[in-house]
Amino acid sequence: MGNVLVWAIWLLAATACLGSGLAVVTFRNPFFSALALIGNLGSLAVLFLLASAEFLAAAQVLVYAGAVMVMFLFVIAYLGDRTPGAFTGGGPSWVSIGAVVAAAALLVEIVVVIGLAAGDRLTDAAEVERSFGSPAEIGRLFLTDHLLAFEITSIVLLIAAVGGVVLGTRSRAEDEEEAARARA
Amino acid sequence: MIAGAWICLAAPLAGALLITLAGTSISRRTAAWISTLSVFTAFGGAVASFVGLLGREREEREAVTTAWTWLGTQNFDVGLSLLVDPLSVTMMLIVSGVGGLIVLYSVGYMDGDPEERRYFAYMALFVFSMLLLVQSANFLLLLVGWGLVGLASYLLIGFWHERPEAVAAAKKAFVMNVFGDATMALAFFAIIWQTGTLDFQAAFEGADGMSQTLVNLVALGLLGGAVAKSAQIPLHTWLPDAMEGPTPVSALIHAATMVTAGVYLIVRAHPIFELAPSISDLAAGLGAVTLLAAGLIALVQTDIKRVIAYSTMSQIGYMFLGAGLGAYGNGMFHLMTHAFFKALLFMAAGLVIHHLAGEQDIRKMSGVRHAMPRTFAAFLVGSLALVGIPPLSGFFSKDSILASAIASGGYGQLLFAAGLLGALLTGLYTFRLLFVVFLGPPSELVKAHQQGHGHGEGPWTMTLPVAVLAVLAVVGGWIQIAGVWHPFGEWLDPIAVGREHLALVEPTVMQDYVTSALAVGLGLLGIWAAWAFYGASRRRVVPRAALVRETLEHKLWFDELYDAIFFRPAVLLTRALRRSVEEPLIGGSIEGVSLGARNAGGAVGEAQTGYLRSYALAIAAGVAILVVVFVSVQ
Amino acid sequence: MRGPDPSWYLVLSAFLFSIGVAGVLLRRSPLIVLLSLEIMLNASNLALITFARLHGGHDGQIFALAVMAVAAAEVVVGLGLIVAIARRHLDLDVDRLRVLRG
Repeated sequence: MGNVLVWAIWLLAATACLGSGLAVVTFRNPFFSALALIGNLGSLAVLFLLASAEFLAAAQVLVYAGAVMVMFLFVIAYLGDRTPGAFTGGGPSWVSIGAVVAAAALLVEIVVVIGLAAGDRLTDAAEVERSFGSPAEIGRLFLTDHLLAFEITSIVLLIAAVGGVVLGTRSRAEDEEEAARARA
Repeated sequence: MIAGAWICLAAPLAGALLITLAGTSISRRTAAWISTLSVFTAFGGAVASFVGLLGREREEREAVTTAWTWLGTQNFDVGLSLLVDPLSVTMMLIVSGVGGLIVLYSVGYMDGDPEERRYFAYMALFVFSMLLLVQSANFLLLLVGWGLVGLASYLLIGFWHERPEAVAAAKKAFVMNVFGDATMALAFFAIIWQTGTLDFQAAFEGADGMSQTLVNLVALGLLGGAVAKSAQIPLHTWLPDAMEGPTPVSALIHAATMVTAGVYLIVRAHPIFELAPSISDLAAGLGAVTLLAAGLIALVQTDIKRVIAYSTMSQIGYMFLGAGLGAYGNGMFHLMTHAFFKALLFMAAGLVIHHLAGEQDIRKMSGVRHAMPRTFAAFLVGSLALVGIPPLSGFFSKDSILASAIASGGYGQLLFAAGLLGALLTGLYTFRLLFVVFLGPPSELVKAHQQGHGHGEGPWTMTLPVAVLAVLAVVGGWIQIAGVWHPFGEWLDPIAVGREHLALVEPTVMQDYVTSALAVGLGLLGIWAAWAFYGASRRRVVPRAALVRETLEHKLWFDELYDAIFFRPAVLLTRALRRSVEEPLIGGSIEGVSLGARNAGGAVGEAQTGYLRSYALAIAAGVAILVVVFVSVQ
Repeated sequence: MRGPDPSWYLVLSAFLFSIGVAGVLLRRSPLIVLLSLEIMLNASNLALITFARLHGGHDGQIFALAVMAVAAAEVVVGLGLIVAIARRHLDLDVDRLRVLRG
């Protein structure tokens, strides 16, 4: 009984994941694309839970869906109607064909080749305790085995924050240009 | 004695280096005196070596001193070795002594020339090179000196490089000399191959084991170098052109020293030449031909220096004649006396040229005797010595060669006849020059320059050397009087390898006297003929018969011949090569490479589209390929 | 493990990744490109989690967390760039932004 439930949830989440992914790529309006991505992130969180990564699922919802996507939506709102919606029309056609081909090739490759090479090793999951993906476990590892990764990640975030500020400040020249444009 | 030899060699080199490195920070005068003093220091070193050698027993008069091994391989090595023996010391004394006097003369002659320092550096370089040549103890070092004197000659002939004739003459001299260098190098290869060494002693001993053809080839190669350096027929055409250089250069290089290097080589390598009698006969024959041809050509020359140049060529012909016959001592004796009176003649001519502000055409000169009486006296002394009138030096030296000729059998008698005819010609052209230039009423040019000079016939730096050489030209021959005393010949005897005496032929006393009488008689006949043609009535300076005149004026058509044989085919070949090989193949390939690189770069540059998406596509494609690679290559 | 075995997760991750690649290559608006990039990153996160579960080790999860942090940083910078471009009144069209053409 429990297994069937898990399967059902998995299938539902997987479908939602793929569907929202396609939606992100195909919608014209970037606002809708961003919303679709939020859905994608949510379904992924469910999948994480099914794979015993509880803390990561929570982090996904909090950080990704919560912070990052909100930032996206802010920018989209700011840009307003300056965002173009056009698809590939107008650009070189060989790029679109090549793109589709490349994506398909990658897909086939990953599935087929890796499946062929390592297929039988990918089916038996190891036995884990209930506290496998708990925050305590992750936190302990971050402060002991993977301390370096932890520290470096924080530095990267710092740099990104600085970069964001730098990119975001307006210079005096831009201010004057903006004013002139507004008067015109 | 050894120290003397090293000082002799090093002093002029030091002088040259000093002048070069000091550049313009020393005055021109200072450079001139540095050069002069360095050459006189060399003379001092030579005298020291001479005295040291005198103090030894006759058999022990040979010393080889090696500074270090210059070239060392497993079974062949060459050292920086100097040889001090009678022959080399004789040459050292002549080169540094006469050279010193000439450099002193240059101090006055070249005064005022803007590039004086370069001149004196070159002169010191030349003296060093010539000393290296005569002092070397092995063939390789001799070749080094040989090449260096060729270089110094080139630099000094072309000294006034703004004159295209001078530049052309320098090139001509150098190229012809290089031909001689090449034949000599081939001879040296043969010597190394057969004997494994280039040291004189060892090479001569090893030469005994050579086959006749090989030793003939070696001797021929050496003769080629000697003929080129000494301007004998057929490699003589560079010497008259070399008169483009300043007069002291002509005196030093092209009269007293460099052109005698060929004679020195033959005497030094005499064991090889003795093993190749046909080549020795060839050398003597070339000498005879040259002395006649040069004498004839000198009769129609109108440039005062060219007459003396052809005279030099002719006299060296005498030396080759003597050396080829085996009369080495006599050949060297004539070399020494010739250095004296030929340098004297050049320098006296230089005084005349200097007085007449650079004019060298004898048709414009006459009656210089009144303006320059002492120069006239010097020129007269030199001319008498050249013709061989007793008791001046040329008489003793030249006649000894002729006597050796008649003592050498049938071929020798032929050469003897040539030599006698040459004596006649010598008298004729020498006194033609003297009478035309100095006698008669003063010409327009001479009168114009009469007022200009207040300081006599030249500064003391020019007149003193002339005076010294005039004295030497008179007494220099008294060191060997045929049949009476032979100190010079005995001095040179020790260099005979494996024999008692150096000279291969010893004329009898009767032959000596008859020869001398004939030679002097013919010389006087020549002088009388000159007086008849050119002296009293001042008839035509150049003979009237057209064909004769044309041929002689074109120097027996040698220049035209070489032009047709060598120059024109070479030009045609280079033009053809340029058209068919260089432009299409080499130029084309270089252009092709560069064009190809540019095209390839352009093609690759097409990938830089600027499209973000095409870059992303490229990345995606690359990843796809890499995945396959990583997975398949386990 | 209950439910599908890890290979299913991996296949899903592959599909998601390809969708992301297609989005990056096909869309002209830089915003959408960024979103597609996020999909790709999430797909790889899923793969990492799956492998962690497969082997029973935590390294995959730690890695996935680091990826999340870096992705967030990257989004900050990317959005800042887009805003800067918009402020200069340039077209927000990757085909038009070709200054680096060489």
